[in-house]
Amino acid sequence: MVKVLETAGQVCPFPLVEAKAALETLTSGEELEIRFDCTQGTDSIPRWAAEEGHTVTNFEQVGDAAWTITVQKK
Amino acid sequence: MIQMVGTGLLCGALLGFVLQRGRFCLTGGFRDLYLTKNTRMFNALLLAIAIQAVGVYALIHFDLLVYEAGTYSFVAVALGSFIFGIGIILAGGCATGTWYRAAEGLVGSWIALIFYMLTSAMMKTGAFKPIHDALQSMQVRDNSIARTFGVNVWVLIIFFIGVVALILVKEARKPKIFIPQLKPKKTGIAHLLFEKRWSTYVTASLIGVIAILAWVFSEASGRMSGLGITTPSANIVQYAVTGDVQYINWGVFLVLGLLIGSYIAAKGSGEFRLRVPDPKTIVSSLCGGVLMGFGASLAGGCTIGNGLVQTAMFSWQGWISLGFIILGVWTATYFVFVRPTIKKTAQQPTVAQTN
Repeated sequence: MVKVLETAGQVCPFPLVEAKAALETLTSGEELEIRFDCTQGTDSIPRWAAEEGHTVTNFEQVGDAAWTITVQKK
Repeated sequence: MIQMVGTGLLCGALLGFVLQRGRFCLTGGFRDLYLTKNTRMFNALLLAIAIQAVGVYALIHFDLLVYEAGTYSFVAVALGSFIFGIGIILAGGCATGTWYRAAEGLVGSWIALIFYMLTSAMMKTGAFKPIHDALQSMQVRDNSIARTFGVNVWVLIIFFIGVVALILVKEARKPKIFIPQLKPKKTGIAHLLFEKRWSTYVTASLIGVIAILAWVFSEASGRMSGLGITTPSANIVQYAVTGDVQYINWGVFLVLGLLIGSYIAAKGSGEFRLRVPDPKTIVSSLCGGVLMGFGASLAGGCTIGNGLVQTAMFSWQGWISLGFIILGVWTATYFVFVRPTIKKTAQQPTVAQTN
Protein backbone atom coordinates (compact mmCIF):
# COMPACT_ATOMS: atom_id res chain seq x y z
CA MET A 1 0.00 0.00 0.00
CA VAL A 2 1.31 3.43 -0.94
CA LYS A 3 0.16 6.52 0.87
CA VAL A 4 0.19 9.68 -1.23
CA LEU A 5 1.15 13.06 0.17
CA GLU A 6 0.36 15.95 -2.15
CA THR A 7 2.45 19.04 -1.33
CA ALA A 8 2.38 20.85 -4.68
CA GLY A 9 2.10 24.59 -4.17
CA GLN A 10 3.99 24.52 -0.88
CA VAL A 11 7.38 26.18 -0.63
CA CYS A 12 10.37 24.62 1.08
CA PRO A 13 10.76 23.35 3.74
CA PHE A 14 7.04 22.50 4.11
CA PRO A 15 7.05 19.46 1.77
CA LEU A 16 9.87 17.92 3.83
CA VAL A 17 8.27 18.86 7.15
CA GLU A 18 5.00 17.22 6.04
CA ALA A 19 6.77 14.19 4.62
CA LYS A 20 8.49 13.58 7.95
CA ALA A 21 5.19 13.85 9.81
CA ALA A 22 3.42 11.57 7.34
CA LEU A 23 6.13 8.91 7.49
CA GLU A 24 5.76 8.84 11.28
CA THR A 25 2.26 7.38 10.82
CA LEU A 26 3.50 4.49 8.65
CA THR A 27 4.88 1.15 9.79
CA SER A 28 8.14 -0.37 8.60
CA GLY A 29 8.05 -1.46 4.94
CA GLU A 30 5.13 0.79 4.03
CA GLU A 31 5.65 3.34 1.28
CA LEU A 32 4.94 7.06 1.09
CA GLU A 33 4.74 8.88 -2.23
CA ILE A 34 5.50 12.59 -1.92
CA ARG A 35 4.51 14.88 -4.79
CA PHE A 36 6.17 18.27 -4.67
CA ASP A 37 7.03 21.27 -6.83
CA CYS A 38 9.62 23.16 -4.79
CA THR A 39 13.02 22.94 -6.47
CA GLN A 40 15.01 22.65 -3.24
CA GLY A 41 13.04 19.51 -2.43
CA THR A 42 14.88 17.62 -5.18
CA ASP A 43 17.92 17.84 -2.94
CA SER A 44 16.50 17.97 0.59
CA ILE A 45 13.95 15.13 0.37
CA PRO A 46 16.21 12.34 -1.06
CA ARG A 47 18.99 13.54 1.26
CA TRP A 48 16.70 13.26 4.29
CA ALA A 49 15.54 9.78 3.21
CA ALA A 50 19.13 8.58 2.68
CA GLU A 51 20.36 10.02 5.97
CA GLU A 52 17.48 8.43 7.89
CA GLY A 53 18.10 5.08 6.21
CA HIS A 54 14.79 4.82 4.34
CA THR A 55 14.76 3.36 0.81
CA VAL A 56 13.85 5.51 -2.17
CA THR A 57 11.92 3.20 -4.52
CA ASN A 58 11.05 5.84 -7.13
CA PHE A 59 12.21 9.39 -7.86
CA GLU A 60 11.30 11.19 -11.05
CA GLN A 61 10.42 14.49 -12.61
CA VAL A 62 6.84 14.30 -13.86
CA GLY A 63 6.63 17.71 -15.55
CA ASP A 64 7.94 21.29 -15.46
CA ALA A 65 8.89 21.90 -11.82
CA ALA A 66 6.97 18.83 -10.64
CA TRP A 67 8.46 15.79 -9.00
CA THR A 68 7.42 12.59 -7.28
CA ILE A 69 9.45 10.53 -4.85
CA THR A 70 8.47 7.31 -3.10
CA VAL A 71 10.08 6.47 0.21
CA GLN A 72 9.84 3.07 1.87
CA LYS A 73 10.07 3.28 5.65
CA LYS A 74 12.98 1.37 7.14
CA MET B 1 28.80 52.21 -20.15
CA ILE B 2 28.73 49.18 -22.47
CA GLN B 3 31.40 47.54 -20.32
CA MET B 4 29.36 48.22 -17.15
CA VAL B 5 26.20 46.73 -18.69
CA GLY B 6 28.09 43.74 -20.11
CA THR B 7 30.16 42.77 -17.06
CA GLY B 8 27.28 43.46 -14.68
CA LEU B 9 24.84 41.27 -16.61
CA LEU B 10 27.50 38.56 -17.09
CA CYS B 11 28.49 38.44 -13.43
CA GLY B 12 24.85 38.45 -12.33
CA ALA B 13 23.91 35.74 -14.83
CA LEU B 14 26.77 33.51 -13.67
CA LEU B 15 25.74 34.01 -10.05
CA GLY B 16 22.07 33.38 -10.79
CA PHE B 17 22.87 30.23 -12.74
CA VAL B 18 25.13 28.83 -10.02
CA LEU B 19 22.69 29.67 -7.21
CA GLN B 20 19.76 28.04 -8.99
CA ARG B 21 21.58 24.88 -10.07
CA GLY B 22 23.47 24.57 -6.79
CA ARG B 23 20.26 25.03 -4.77
CA PHE B 24 22.24 27.55 -2.77
CA CYS B 25 19.80 28.82 -0.18
CA LEU B 26 21.28 30.60 2.83
CA THR B 27 17.88 31.09 4.44
CA GLY B 28 17.42 27.32 4.38
CA GLY B 29 20.99 26.89 5.59
CA PHE B 30 20.54 29.16 8.63
CA ARG B 31 17.12 27.65 9.35
CA ASP B 32 18.46 24.08 9.22
CA LEU B 33 21.25 24.89 11.69
CA TYR B 34 18.39 25.07 14.18
CA LEU B 35 15.63 22.92 12.66
CA THR B 36 17.62 19.83 11.63
CA LYS B 37 21.07 20.64 13.15
CA ASN B 38 22.46 20.48 9.61
CA THR B 39 25.60 22.62 9.08
CA ARG B 40 26.30 21.83 5.40
CA MET B 41 25.06 25.10 3.88
CA PHE B 42 26.62 27.19 6.65
CA ASN B 43 29.99 25.45 6.11
CA ALA B 44 29.64 26.13 2.40
CA LEU B 45 29.11 29.83 3.14
CA LEU B 46 32.31 29.87 5.22
CA LEU B 47 34.19 28.29 2.30
CA ALA B 48 32.88 30.95 -0.12
CA ILE B 49 33.91 33.68 2.36
CA ALA B 50 37.44 32.20 2.67
CA ILE B 51 37.97 31.99 -1.11
CA GLN B 52 36.75 35.53 -1.62
CA ALA B 53 38.86 36.91 1.26
CA VAL B 54 42.07 35.43 -0.16
CA GLY B 55 41.32 36.63 -3.71
CA VAL B 56 40.21 40.13 -2.83
CA TYR B 57 42.94 40.84 -0.26
CA ALA B 58 45.57 39.51 -2.69
CA LEU B 59 44.29 41.97 -5.32
CA ILE B 60 44.30 44.76 -2.71
CA HIS B 61 47.86 43.78 -1.73
CA PHE B 62 49.01 44.23 -5.34
CA ASP B 63 47.13 47.56 -5.58
CA LEU B 64 44.66 46.14 -8.09
CA LEU B 65 41.66 46.90 -5.89
CA VAL B 66 40.83 49.66 -3.42
CA TYR B 67 38.96 48.99 -0.19
CA GLU B 68 38.33 51.04 2.93
CA ALA B 69 36.30 49.54 5.77
CA GLY B 70 34.98 52.91 7.02
CA THR B 71 32.62 52.99 9.99
CA TYR B 72 29.48 51.16 11.08
CA SER B 73 26.69 51.59 13.61
CA PHE B 74 26.25 48.60 15.92
CA VAL B 75 22.59 49.42 16.63
CA ALA B 76 21.67 49.74 12.95
CA VAL B 77 23.55 46.60 11.88
CA ALA B 78 22.27 44.40 14.74
CA LEU B 79 18.65 45.57 14.64
CA GLY B 80 18.47 45.65 10.83
CA SER B 81 19.98 42.17 10.47
CA PHE B 82 17.64 40.67 13.07
CA ILE B 83 14.60 42.13 11.27
CA PHE B 84 16.00 40.94 7.92
CA GLY B 85 16.43 37.42 9.37
CA ILE B 86 12.74 37.31 10.34
CA GLY B 87 11.79 38.66 6.92
CA ILE B 88 13.64 36.01 4.92
CA ILE B 89 11.84 33.17 6.73
CA LEU B 90 8.46 34.79 6.03
CA ALA B 91 9.43 35.44 2.40
CA GLY B 92 10.81 31.91 1.94
CA GLY B 93 14.26 33.07 0.80
CA CYS B 94 16.86 35.78 1.31
CA ALA B 95 17.22 38.73 -1.05
CA THR B 96 19.26 36.77 -3.59
CA GLY B 97 17.12 33.67 -3.04
CA THR B 98 14.01 35.73 -3.72
CA TRP B 99 15.52 37.06 -6.97
CA TYR B 100 16.29 33.54 -8.22
CA ARG B 101 13.02 32.02 -7.06
CA ALA B 102 11.22 34.83 -8.86
CA ALA B 103 13.01 33.58 -11.99
CA GLU B 104 11.72 30.03 -11.31
CA GLY B 105 8.19 31.42 -11.73
CA LEU B 106 7.20 31.59 -8.05
CA VAL B 107 4.68 34.42 -7.89
CA GLY B 108 5.07 34.54 -4.09
CA SER B 109 8.70 35.54 -4.61
CA TRP B 110 7.64 38.25 -7.08
CA ILE B 111 5.50 39.76 -4.33
CA ALA B 112 8.30 39.52 -1.74
CA LEU B 113 10.75 41.00 -4.25
CA ILE B 114 8.54 43.97 -5.17
CA PHE B 115 7.97 44.89 -1.52
CA TYR B 116 11.63 44.34 -0.65
CA MET B 117 12.72 46.68 -3.46
CA LEU B 118 10.08 49.28 -2.55
CA THR B 119 10.89 49.32 1.19
CA SER B 120 14.63 49.50 0.48
CA ALA B 121 14.06 52.57 -1.71
CA MET B 122 11.81 54.10 0.99
CA MET B 123 14.62 53.62 3.54
CA LYS B 124 17.30 55.11 1.32
CA THR B 125 15.59 58.16 -0.21
CA GLY B 126 11.94 57.98 0.83
CA ALA B 127 9.57 58.26 3.77
CA PHE B 128 11.65 56.00 6.06
CA LYS B 129 14.91 57.91 5.45
CA PRO B 130 14.74 59.76 8.84
CA ILE B 131 14.53 56.40 10.70
CA HIS B 132 17.37 55.01 8.59
CA ASP B 133 19.60 58.05 9.16
CA ALA B 134 18.84 58.34 12.89
CA LEU B 135 19.70 54.67 13.61
CA GLN B 136 22.74 54.62 11.34
CA SER B 137 24.25 57.58 13.18
CA MET B 138 24.06 55.83 16.58
CA GLN B 139 27.22 54.35 18.15
CA VAL B 140 29.38 54.74 15.04
CA ARG B 141 32.68 52.84 15.33
CA ASP B 142 35.62 51.75 13.19
CA ASN B 143 34.49 48.91 10.93
CA SER B 144 37.83 47.14 10.51
CA ILE B 145 38.37 44.13 12.82
CA ALA B 146 42.09 44.13 11.98
CA ARG B 147 42.49 47.79 13.01
CA THR B 148 40.51 47.25 16.23
CA PHE B 149 42.91 44.47 17.29
CA GLY B 150 45.95 46.19 15.76
CA VAL B 151 46.87 43.19 13.59
CA ASN B 152 47.48 42.71 9.88
CA VAL B 153 44.31 41.52 8.13
CA TRP B 154 46.23 38.46 6.82
CA VAL B 155 46.48 37.21 10.42
CA LEU B 156 42.67 37.08 10.50
CA ILE B 157 42.47 35.51 7.03
CA ILE B 158 44.97 32.77 7.84
CA PHE B 159 43.27 32.02 11.16
CA PHE B 160 39.92 31.84 9.35
CA ILE B 161 41.29 29.55 6.62
CA GLY B 162 42.56 27.26 9.38
CA VAL B 163 39.09 27.07 10.92
CA VAL B 164 37.42 26.42 7.54
CA ALA B 165 40.01 23.74 6.67
CA LEU B 166 39.37 21.95 9.98
CA ILE B 167 35.61 21.97 9.35
CA LEU B 168 36.00 20.67 5.78
CA VAL B 169 38.37 17.88 6.84
CA LYS B 170 35.91 16.86 9.55
CA GLU B 171 33.09 16.85 6.96
CA ALA B 172 35.16 14.82 4.48
CA ARG B 173 35.80 12.16 7.12
CA LYS B 174 32.11 11.57 7.73
CA PRO B 175 30.93 8.30 6.15
CA LYS B 176 29.56 8.90 2.65
CA ILE B 177 25.93 8.04 2.12
CA PHE B 178 24.38 7.41 -1.27
CA ILE B 179 21.75 10.00 -2.11
CA PRO B 180 19.25 8.83 -4.73
CA GLN B 181 19.36 10.89 -7.92
CA LEU B 182 16.84 11.48 -10.68
CA LYS B 183 17.21 9.18 -13.67
CA PRO B 184 19.39 11.09 -16.15
CA LYS B 185 17.57 12.12 -19.34
CA LYS B 186 20.38 14.30 -20.68
CA THR B 187 24.01 13.55 -21.48
CA GLY B 188 27.37 15.35 -21.55
CA ILE B 189 27.46 19.08 -20.92
CA ALA B 190 23.66 19.38 -20.83
CA HIS B 191 23.52 16.79 -18.04
CA LEU B 192 26.25 18.59 -16.10
CA LEU B 193 24.70 22.04 -16.46
CA PHE B 194 20.98 21.35 -16.44
CA GLU B 195 20.38 18.10 -14.61
CA LYS B 196 23.13 16.79 -12.34
CA ARG B 197 22.99 17.54 -8.62
CA TRP B 198 25.75 20.03 -7.84
CA SER B 199 27.84 19.52 -4.74
CA THR B 200 27.20 22.28 -2.20
CA TYR B 201 30.95 22.80 -1.77
CA VAL B 202 31.61 23.08 -5.53
CA THR B 203 28.76 25.59 -5.70
CA ALA B 204 30.22 27.57 -2.79
CA SER B 205 33.66 27.63 -4.44
CA LEU B 206 32.15 28.97 -7.67
CA ILE B 207 30.30 31.65 -5.67
CA GLY B 208 33.60 32.63 -3.99
CA VAL B 209 35.23 33.07 -7.42
CA ILE B 210 32.25 35.04 -8.80
CA ALA B 211 32.45 37.29 -5.71
CA ILE B 212 36.11 38.08 -6.56
CA LEU B 213 35.19 38.78 -10.21
CA ALA B 214 32.44 41.10 -8.98
CA TRP B 215 34.96 43.27 -7.10
CA VAL B 216 37.15 43.57 -10.22
CA PHE B 217 34.29 44.35 -12.64
CA SER B 218 32.47 46.63 -10.24
CA GLU B 219 35.51 48.75 -9.36
CA ALA B 220 36.41 48.99 -13.08
CA SER B 221 33.01 50.67 -13.56
CA GLY B 222 33.61 53.06 -10.66
CA ARG B 223 31.48 51.29 -8.04
CA MET B 224 33.88 50.61 -5.16
CA SER B 225 32.40 47.41 -3.72
CA GLY B 226 31.72 43.78 -4.50
CA LEU B 227 28.52 41.76 -4.82
CA GLY B 228 25.53 43.62 -3.44
CA ILE B 229 21.81 43.09 -3.79
CA THR B 230 19.89 45.53 -1.59
CA THR B 231 21.20 48.90 -2.81
CA PRO B 232 20.95 47.88 -6.50
CA SER B 233 17.41 46.55 -5.89
CA ALA B 234 16.49 49.92 -4.35
CA ASN B 235 18.26 51.74 -7.21
CA ILE B 236 15.92 50.11 -9.74
CA VAL B 237 12.87 51.54 -7.94
CA GLN B 238 14.58 54.92 -7.43
CA TYR B 239 15.41 55.10 -11.13
CA ALA B 240 11.96 53.85 -12.13
CA VAL B 241 10.14 56.60 -10.25
CA THR B 242 12.56 59.51 -10.79
CA GLY B 243 14.12 58.76 -14.18
CA ASP B 244 17.39 59.97 -12.65
CA VAL B 245 20.32 58.10 -14.24
CA GLN B 246 22.54 58.63 -11.15
CA TYR B 247 20.79 55.53 -9.74
CA ILE B 248 22.05 53.36 -12.59
CA ASN B 249 25.29 51.58 -11.70
CA TRP B 250 27.05 48.22 -12.06
CA GLY B 251 24.96 46.69 -9.26
CA VAL B 252 21.70 47.32 -11.13
CA PHE B 253 22.95 45.18 -14.03
CA LEU B 254 24.22 42.58 -11.57
CA VAL B 255 20.74 41.99 -10.13
CA LEU B 256 19.11 42.06 -13.57
CA GLY B 257 21.70 39.50 -14.71
CA LEU B 258 20.85 37.41 -11.66
CA LEU B 259 17.25 37.20 -12.86
CA ILE B 260 18.35 36.24 -16.40
CA GLY B 261 20.91 33.64 -15.28
CA SER B 262 18.56 31.89 -12.88
CA TYR B 263 15.77 31.93 -15.48
CA ILE B 264 18.08 30.23 -18.02
CA ALA B 265 19.08 27.66 -15.38
CA ALA B 266 15.48 26.97 -14.36
CA LYS B 267 14.07 26.91 -17.91
CA GLY B 268 16.92 24.73 -19.18
CA SER B 269 16.32 22.12 -16.50
CA GLY B 270 12.53 22.10 -16.75
CA GLU B 271 12.18 23.82 -13.40
CA PHE B 272 10.36 26.94 -14.52
CA ARG B 273 6.62 27.10 -14.02
CA LEU B 274 4.37 29.96 -12.95
CA ARG B 275 3.12 29.04 -9.50
CA VAL B 276 0.58 31.16 -7.63
CA PRO B 277 0.60 30.63 -3.86
CA ASP B 278 -2.38 30.43 -1.52
CA PRO B 279 -3.58 33.65 0.20
CA LYS B 280 -1.74 32.85 3.45
CA THR B 281 1.60 32.52 1.62
CA ILE B 282 0.90 35.76 -0.28
CA VAL B 283 0.44 37.68 2.99
CA SER B 284 3.53 36.03 4.45
CA SER B 285 5.64 36.86 1.37
CA LEU B 286 4.43 40.45 1.42
CA CYS B 287 5.29 40.93 5.12
CA GLY B 288 8.62 39.17 4.56
CA GLY B 289 9.49 41.49 1.68
CA VAL B 290 8.75 44.60 3.77
CA LEU B 291 10.88 43.36 6.71
CA MET B 292 13.70 42.37 4.33
CA GLY B 293 13.85 45.80 2.69
CA PHE B 294 13.65 47.63 6.01
CA GLY B 295 16.19 45.37 7.75
CA ALA B 296 18.76 45.06 4.96
CA SER B 297 18.81 48.81 4.31
CA LEU B 298 19.28 49.53 8.00
CA ALA B 299 22.03 46.91 8.31
CA GLY B 300 23.76 48.07 5.13
CA GLY B 301 23.45 44.70 3.44
CA CYS B 302 21.70 41.36 3.12
CA THR B 303 22.97 37.77 3.31
CA ILE B 304 25.19 38.57 0.30
CA GLY B 305 26.32 42.16 0.95
CA ASN B 306 26.99 41.57 4.64
CA GLY B 307 26.94 37.78 5.07
CA LEU B 308 29.22 36.93 2.15
CA VAL B 309 31.09 40.11 1.16
CA GLN B 310 31.56 42.18 4.34
CA THR B 311 32.50 39.02 6.26
CA ALA B 312 35.23 38.30 3.67
CA MET B 313 36.53 41.85 4.15
CA PHE B 314 36.71 41.10 7.89
CA SER B 315 34.58 44.07 8.86
CA TRP B 316 32.60 44.20 12.11
CA GLN B 317 29.51 44.98 10.04
CA GLY B 318 29.78 41.67 8.18
CA TRP B 319 30.20 39.37 11.19
CA ILE B 320 27.76 41.18 13.50
CA SER B 321 25.23 41.14 10.68
CA LEU B 322 25.73 37.43 10.00
CA GLY B 323 25.20 36.65 13.70
CA PHE B 324 22.02 38.72 13.99
CA ILE B 325 20.57 37.46 10.68
CA ILE B 326 20.94 33.93 12.05
CA LEU B 327 19.27 34.97 15.34
CA GLY B 328 16.40 36.51 13.37
CA VAL B 329 16.07 33.36 11.25
CA TRP B 330 15.98 31.14 14.35
CA THR B 331 13.38 33.34 16.05
CA ALA B 332 11.10 33.23 13.01
CA THR B 333 11.77 29.50 12.52
CA TYR B 334 10.51 28.85 16.03
CA PHE B 335 7.23 30.66 15.38
CA VAL B 336 6.72 29.43 11.80
CA PHE B 337 7.94 25.81 11.93
CA VAL B 338 8.70 24.62 15.47
CA ARG B 339 5.73 25.85 17.51
CA PRO B 340 3.05 24.75 15.00
CA THR B 341 4.60 21.25 14.95
CA ILE B 342 4.56 21.03 18.74
CA LYS B 343 0.89 22.05 18.72
CA LYS B 344 0.05 19.55 15.99
CA THR B 345 1.83 16.48 17.40
CA ALA B 346 -1.40 15.08 18.85
CA GLN B 347 -3.19 15.41 15.49
CA GLN B 348 -2.70 13.09 12.56
CA PRO B 349 -1.29 14.70 9.40
CA THR B 350 -3.69 14.77 6.48
CA VAL B 351 -2.65 11.92 4.21
CA ALA B 352 -4.77 10.70 1.33
CA GLN B 353 -4.84 6.96 0.76
CA THR B 354 -4.75 5.11 -2.54
CA ASN B 355 -4.45 1.42 -3.36
